[in-house]
Amino acid sequence: MRVALFIPCFIDQFYPKVGKAMVAVLRRVGVDPVFPAEQTCCGQPAFNTGYWNEARRLAERYCEIFADAEAIVSPSGSCTAMVRNFYPELLGRTPHAAANTFEFAEFLVKKLGVTDVGARFPASVTYHDACHSRRELGLKEEPRRLLAKVRDLQLVEMDESETCCGFGGTFSVKFPMISSAMAGVKVASIQRTGAQYVVSADSSCLMQIGGLLKRRQLPVQTLHLAEVLVRT
Amino acid sequence: MTSTEKSFRSAATVKSADAPHRAVIRRNMATYHTSVARGKQRFLDWENARAHAAGIKWEVVNHLDRYLEQFESNLVKNGAQVHWAEDAAEAKAIILEIARSHGVRTVVKSKSMVTEEIHLNEALAAAGIKSVETDLGEFICQLRDEPPYHLVTPAMHLSRTDFSREFHEKLGAPVTEDPEELTMIARRWLRKDFLTADMGITGANFAVADPGMIALTENEGNIRLCFSLPRVHVALVGIEKLVPRVEDLALLWPVLGTAGTGQALTAYSSLVGGPRAAGEIDGPEEFHVVLLDNGRTRLLADVEQRDALQCIRCGACLNSCPIYESVGGYTYATTYQGPIGSVITPHLRGYADWSHLSYASSLCGACTSVCPVHIDLHRHLLQNRRNAVQQRLDPLYQRVAFRVFRWLVNSGRRFAIVGKLGRLALRLGITRPFTRPWTATRDLPPPPAQSFRAWWAATQTARPPAGETAPAQQPPGGPTLR
Amino acid sequence: MTSRDKILGSVRDAMRTLAIRPVPPTSAPVFPPVTDPAQRFREEFLALKGEIIESPEALRQFLAGFPKITTDDSDLVRQTAGPGNATVREADLGITGCDCLIAQMGAIVVSPPSAGGRAPSVLPPAHLVIARRDQLIPDLAGAVDFVRRRYDGHWPSTLSIIAGPSRTGDIEKIMVLGAHGPRRLAVYWAG
Repeated sequence: MRVALFIPCFIDQFYPKVGKAMVAVLRRVGVDPVFPAEQTCCGQPAFNTGYWNEARRLAERYCEIFADAEAIVSPSGSCTAMVRNFYPELLGRTPHAAANTFEFAEFLVKKLGVTDVGARFPASVTYHDACHSRRELGLKEEPRRLLAKVRDLQLVEMDESETCCGFGGTFSVKFPMISSAMAGVKVASIQRTGAQYVVSADSSCLMQIGGLLKRRQLPVQTLHLAEVLVRT
Repeated sequence: MTSTEKSFRSAATVKSADAPHRAVIRRNMATYHTSVARGKQRFLDWENARAHAAGIKWEVVNHLDRYLEQFESNLVKNGAQVHWAEDAAEAKAIILEIARSHGVRTVVKSKSMVTEEIHLNEALAAAGIKSVETDLGEFICQLRDEPPYHLVTPAMHLSRTDFSREFHEKLGAPVTEDPEELTMIARRWLRKDFLTADMGITGANFAVADPGMIALTENEGNIRLCFSLPRVHVALVGIEKLVPRVEDLALLWPVLGTAGTGQALTAYSSLVGGPRAAGEIDGPEEFHVVLLDNGRTRLLADVEQRDALQCIRCGACLNSCPIYESVGGYTYATTYQGPIGSVITPHLRGYADWSHLSYASSLCGACTSVCPVHIDLHRHLLQNRRNAVQQRLDPLYQRVAFRVFRWLVNSGRRFAIVGKLGRLALRLGITRPFTRPWTATRDLPPPPAQSFRAWWAATQTARPPAGETAPAQQPPGGPTLR
Repeated sequence: MTSRDKILGSVRDAMRTLAIRPVPPTSAPVFPPVTDPAQRFREEFLALKGEIIESPEALRQFLAGFPKITTDDSDLVRQTAGPGNATVREADLGITGCDCLIAQMGAIVVSPPSAGGRAPSVLPPAHLVIARRDQLIPDLAGAVDFVRRRYDGHWPSTLSIIAGPSRTGDIEKIMVLGAHGPRRLAVYWAG
């Protein structure tokens, strides 16, 4: 099967380790993906700010670039939701690439039927449900089923795991006072778990949460789900 | 930047940093969420109840002319008088004329967002008419000369100490912080107004086309007193409040109660269809319904966002909104707050001054997930943003930025080069003025030396083509797509 | 053109296009069935802080606590509790009949014909309902049907569904009874 990688713009530039980890895990379960180098951005920043014409162009571009893939996998629930849930509305049709883009955990659990990727991570971990993953893609159990199979990992649920971390794309810099306040509420939830790591399937959330954790010099570390699953 | 946006930003800055304020809201919300979770247990399937509620309201806002005419006709048959007001000014004029023709000097009033929307109390005061808010939360807001804080709980932001101080200072009541004693003080004080007022003014939670009655939902009993004791009852009703039949309330009353406060039914669910009828021993001589447009037909005409008129004003979206939790009700500085307010206010009051509310959202979607009538709230915020850009209300720098963005992301190579330069600039620290909105409160991740695409190009393109490698672990039978 | 014409005109224009329909509900009932209405009413009504007067002796004691009583002047109330001795504005207690009671909600439906007008069931600080057991209806939908059958074509000017005493949570979300309506609500089964 032809699987292509969709590495969102900011993961490409700021969190390449997340992309690398995802590739390693995929190979471990027998998937050898390609990376179409022409890809850049799903268009969500433009779409969310109201520039739908710009976003539409990017949507067309994405669907062309990924037209040949049977499945497209992305380490971002937010970008996946943009492609699957919003491209059809933007384009007035549902190209193959739009219908067949999957978030990483979703791809492993729902498409491959895999929950054990042979990982080991002796640490206490709490999981943040990113808004797009949870409410646009309906994912909740999938990342947890994957974490449950990671040897020696202890999952501690936080209260309000589904409450927004406050990133919201350009919202984080347009309304930074509100965004930071929301990050503060999320960090408090995380601290109450006593976990060493906060894990999520969205690096944008982790950038927000991690940004506040670092500023406050708190010991909790952030990890993308792929970075947990890659450890053996 | 408009002055409304500037005010919003400064109020938001103050309030999001206000820890005691946040604690009050969170305490209220926690109580709310516990009550609602319990209340939903009464339904066999809450999701199915939502589908019913959404269906009833969809029917109304998509056949509104039919239901409005039926409502009016049935009301008139029952001896009520129906007026139509295009805008706030007209509604106020109609109500003032009714008051004038009856020599009204005092009004007792129930909590009604639509009367706030048209600033009715100011108009009454200007005409020399005393208007008394009788809902306990609204009563204290009136004493403090403040607007209501929240759709359903107007005094959410106040403590018992605040109540005590207001009642002591403004009513001469003895100092007490006991909620029961405070409630009794308000009850005794307001009883005088109920017994002597010339006119009662209410809103309506629903307007029932068949058999032509308004429905009023409350816990205190002040609404019943407002429409039972004075000589004249006036109800101001937004045209979107219609429901087809009283039978629909058997579902909508519990849905409103549950989503609003976690109650199956509030203490009083009333229907009013006319003045005192033949053979009845009490009740007003006249019952007037004032139907209000004030921009609702604009929203109705926007087919994409028409469902926003299905709102039953339960407050569930406010109570789920992390932005509302951070900034509180007053920061919105407009009658309708929270997600629903952010959606409808540009339609009612103009995009120029109010589109910023649609941007003040992380689009988390919690609002949409709780709305009992399935309004696509967060999608409407996105649509409002698009509409604002189409109306060229976007700031010039932003328009330019997205033109640059479009150029930038139109080529993988270009993106790779600019990305590399950007990371270099970050490492050199020359981007600080641009990153300040972030870095004022949060650290940025250290920019990596090599992007993913650079790593792939450097290390992965020499690999055999996909499918020919033997992976370390493989599910039995090889990987298959489900 | 009147405002009515303009508003209805705008509405009619908008109605030429339908918005997308929501996903329809299933045919499953919204609420679980009420299996034992008498028991259910009792549970719900007491949970709402209503009071049930269990016997004629208890009724006598209850009434003795209210010097000034107003009634709806109905036969049922007069036969059960006697005549009133006060106006509705002076009374400590209002005694009325009702249209019906709703087991599912622990609620009572009143209207001017069934409860002597608008004020007797809301103005005095206490309200006693004299009801017959055959007035008990299992659920809210049934009660609305009942009221429709009883009043269609000649509706009273108002109806109220009463679910417990008056209350407020406006002070720090702490529930307090007796905000503006009756602080005490009681039911006596007269048969």
